[in-house]
Amino acid sequence: MASRRQILLASLVALLVAAAAIGALFLSRSEPPPDERPSAPLGREVLAPLPQPEARSVVAPAAARTEDGQWTMAGGDYASTRYSGLDQINVSNARRLQLVFSFPTGVSRGHEAAPLVVGSTMYIVTPFPNYVYALDLTRPQNPLKWVFRPQPRQAAQGVACCDVVNRGAAYADGRIFFNTLDGQTIALDAETGRQMWRTQLGNINIGETITMAPLVAEGRVLVGNSGGEFGVRGWLAALDAATGAVAWRAYSTGPDADVLIGPNFRPFYPQERGRDLGVHSWHPEGWRLGGGNAWGWISYDPETHLIFYGTGNPGPWNPEQRPGDNKWTAGLFARDVRTGEARWFYQSSPHDLFDHDDINESILLDMPVGGRRRQVLVRPGRTGYMYVMDRNTGEVLSADPFAHINSLRGVDLHTGRPIPVPEKAPRSGRVIRNICPASPGGKDWNPSAFSPRTGLLYVPHINLCMDHGVSEANYIAGTPYIGAESRMFAGPGGHRGVLTAWDPVGRRPVWRIREDLPLWSGALATGGDLVFYGTMDGWFRAVDARSGEVVWQFRTESGIIGQPVSYRGPDGRQYIAILSGVGGWAGAIVSNALHPADPTAGLGFVNATRDLPGRTRAGGRLYVFALPR
Amino acid sequence: MSSPSPARAAIVLLLALGGCDRESREPRGRPLPETGPQIAPQRTAMMNGVPVPTTEDPRADDYEGNAYHVAQGYRYFAWMNCSGCHANGGGGMGPPLMDDEWRYGGSMEQIAATIIQGRPNGMPSYRGRVTEQQVWQLAAFVRSLSAQNRQDVLPGRTDAPRNTEPQTLQEPQPVVETGVANDSASQE
Amino acid sequence: MIARRAFALSLAFLLGGCSGIQSALGRDGRHGEIFGGLFAIFLAVTLFVYLIVIAFLLAGIFRRRGKRQDGLPDEEGESREASLRKGLIGWAAFIALGLSVLTVASFVADRLMAQASGPDPLRIQIVAHQWWWEVRYEDADPSRTFRTANELHLPVGVPVQITLMSNDVIHSFWVPNLAGKQDLIPGRTTQIALHPTREGVYRGQCAEYCGLQHARMALDVTVEPVAAFRTWRTQQLLPAPLPRTPLQQAGLRYVETRECGACHSIVGTRASGQVAPDLTHLASRRTIGAGTYPMSRGHLYAWVADPQSAKPGNRMPHIPLEPDQLHAIVAYLETLR
Repeated sequence: MASRRQILLASLVALLVAAAAIGALFLSRSEPPPDERPSAPLGREVLAPLPQPEARSVVAPAAARTEDGQWTMAGGDYASTRYSGLDQINVSNARRLQLVFSFPTGVSRGHEAAPLVVGSTMYIVTPFPNYVYALDLTRPQNPLKWVFRPQPRQAAQGVACCDVVNRGAAYADGRIFFNTLDGQTIALDAETGRQMWRTQLGNINIGETITMAPLVAEGRVLVGNSGGEFGVRGWLAALDAATGAVAWRAYSTGPDADVLIGPNFRPFYPQERGRDLGVHSWHPEGWRLGGGNAWGWISYDPETHLIFYGTGNPGPWNPEQRPGDNKWTAGLFARDVRTGEARWFYQSSPHDLFDHDDINESILLDMPVGGRRRQVLVRPGRTGYMYVMDRNTGEVLSADPFAHINSLRGVDLHTGRPIPVPEKAPRSGRVIRNICPASPGGKDWNPSAFSPRTGLLYVPHINLCMDHGVSEANYIAGTPYIGAESRMFAGPGGHRGVLTAWDPVGRRPVWRIREDLPLWSGALATGGDLVFYGTMDGWFRAVDARSGEVVWQFRTESGIIGQPVSYRGPDGRQYIAILSGVGGWAGAIVSNALHPADPTAGLGFVNATRDLPGRTRAGGRLYVFALPR
Repeated sequence: MSSPSPARAAIVLLLALGGCDRESREPRGRPLPETGPQIAPQRTAMMNGVPVPTTEDPRADDYEGNAYHVAQGYRYFAWMNCSGCHANGGGGMGPPLMDDEWRYGGSMEQIAATIIQGRPNGMPSYRGRVTEQQVWQLAAFVRSLSAQNRQDVLPGRTDAPRNTEPQTLQEPQPVVETGVANDSASQE
Repeated sequence: MIARRAFALSLAFLLGGCSGIQSALGRDGRHGEIFGGLFAIFLAVTLFVYLIVIAFLLAGIFRRRGKRQDGLPDEEGESREASLRKGLIGWAAFIALGLSVLTVASFVADRLMAQASGPDPLRIQIVAHQWWWEVRYEDADPSRTFRTANELHLPVGVPVQITLMSNDVIHSFWVPNLAGKQDLIPGRTTQIALHPTREGVYRGQCAEYCGLQHARMALDVTVEPVAAFRTWRTQQLLPAPLPRTPLQQAGLRYVETRECGACHSIVGTRASGQVAPDLTHLASRRTIGAGTYPMSRGHLYAWVADPQSAKPGNRMPHIPLEPDQLHAIVAYLETLR
């Protein structure tokens, strides 16, 4: 019989062994050290079969382009497909892609631009101070051809809501057109970099900036302002491409004369019809501080001379201070590019509650709807619905959710109005919890790409929800006019970013990639059946356009929020170019060095990207990839 | 039963009265009225081998050590849209105010100077838009975001829905004072 | 002597709450009338009972008491008990009847008050701040809504539905001539219905302690004929008139670009601050500072020059103005009718 002491000793040893075992179990479940974190997406699911060839959309013929190996506007073509027909790089050889060239931009803020390639020159625009670099692609190591430094006013940095980004330039007729943060539009000679003209359009003292990439159509340079967080009245202006003079300017709020609403305005839905709705759907004089900024994407249909662009959120964010529908904010305009007059308008968020700007891209397609071929535009909305609309009349043909939504029950296709969920409406003095999608919506500005070969729309977007509280906003010109605090967090599933391959005809997702971090970069679809996109911790990925499997990836020095492009170099090879440099609204915690202890910082985004500083750092570099010779 | 000694009672009374200035209020600001910009401009700490004297405003301590002024500063922080750019100290369009990095100085005088003068990289100038008393109150509140005020002066809880920890629970982030050159070697 | 003086004083005090523009017994609104009727019933019943009790008390004090010498019980003792019992039942029944009357009257009054607001009421939203009332008149057409401060104009005979909210602490809306009290609680929305029946000017008061200047948070209520109300409403929808003289123009420039416009709004100008009272029609109001001063040129000067001496601790800071700036500002403010 064992003595008491021996029993005691044995039990002590057993206890120690058990403790060690449990400890080992816990330790093995802990986070891997940072550099061993997963370098692949969180997951991928295939949800539906690929559309059959006869059920595929085609790009609107008038707006499409014939593949010439160039990339002359951010959207690739006027239909905003962001598709390159080049197929030298394809699914079978993409794993051999290698870095052939990189170029530091000298700026360490968010790089959202799309590089342009015209002939044998590449043009990139940096975030503030908005340098324009022209790189000679004919010589080895792509030396600098010229650089243009516009020297915008420094104080503009203080009124840029979402990092000091610039979404790129546009090329037409031997000129490069781009915007500066302090509200200027500048035209440069594409060959020499000499300034042709410079027009001051915005006033930073009222909080007005310009960050968008212009679009050139029919000799007009189309420019829209930013400032919805500052009570800036939004507008879209057309400048004469030769002289820079303002041909027309259409405001987004105010009397019909300012909004360029005339006898040819034929909105589809009754709530958009009436006189001076841009005044009467606001409290008195509220439209002067109304927002509705056109800071996003413009598509153009040459056949009908119509441009399609969305307007931003109304000001202030606190909806209780602006009773009424708040026209013409948070909606989509169709205008005649020659005169600016409005043809139709559809408001996706009447009396917007959640900062759901409507500035996302509209892809112009001809596709079968209900049995017959229709001329539509497809747009992944900020509200989280994929809108298919007749682009000639403004009728919403379908609106299906591509993101998780609990703040709206749906879109009533008879009236065109979204059906709100009253419990999720912001109210003074209260915090409304778990509103999905969060303020950046189901998808923010970062543009999607369409492949006519697969018939799918590749949508890089986010999965975020938020807690939201509103309070009285005070207006002082040049300071934010918001009146809301929020903090965002991952939506259902725990992943914050998604790449959805959407079938617009079948109205459903075909496959989906789940990413840990929000996706804030654009997408590129190529003729080699590849889709390129970048993550916020710097991974630049190529996936199979048909299945979503990752075929190739490369870790860049900083998170990617830019727009990838593809071009044919002077040597005949296909290249893929992307700007790396994290920032923007989503990456502000890194680019603006925000403090993670305050979840409401960065307009609520800091709470959702608290881990970002540990996974990437600020930077600014152009990366160009190609297959080895 | 012994009666409490008058000396002890006097000591207790004195101690109790010591905390009275925490909430004392001068609705018009001191001295009456406050006119003219007496806030120091931003100075460099380098002056060619000569120690630079610090400019200290005697009002700074009055505002920083008073709970009422810090609370008023919190109110104006929202009213003047400071929170629109700086959130609840974490930053956004503007840099964070709750850490220990101060681009333009973190003393009361320097913060007040920044608010009045604005700064080149985008901080707007509030000269003429707020009174000098409000500027001091705002500066006192900004200091509280990095928990630099006295513990009994820091706001403990807000009535508004907020998601950050109250400043009383934060670690104080003291500022390294700039403008003081005590290095005797520089005087050679 | 002292007792008589004290009695007179206390009577004056008591009656002071009974008359004039802030009278708890005022019957100038439907709710007030109903409540006044209920009060009268209560007063009658309880006064009657009170008088009976006093009578019995006095009888008990002054009645001669006889006692038998030997302490033996009375022969009449048994029937006395019976009569006592009958009296007890009688009085209990009487009291029960009285209480029932009060209960029924209370219930009926409550139901009447609930129905006193008719269909299609005038909708007003009041947001209470420390220490002023923000009043928003609502309308189906949002461009016909407007804001004013510290005053209510109501058309006589028209039911009014007021939504009450608070921006900071708990306040209480109380216009005694028209209706009872209703709290304004931050984070919640409460409602009160009014139905004014008599024209006149009445004074409302914040009835829940809300800070240093709770006592100077009055609400100026004007009940007027419907036509006059419409005129007033049309006037309120107009933006501020353009200043004509150079002094007024200098005043507008100061108001727009300096401290005033950072907090106050004047519709039609660049002053668009939202946190302080709307000044678009300031000069048409009867008081300044929620009842602190009557509206007059001298009081405007006093308020703008030093709001802290009139209402110390209020949220408008003391702005050290030069004399010519003060002249310009007041000249401009006087044009805001």
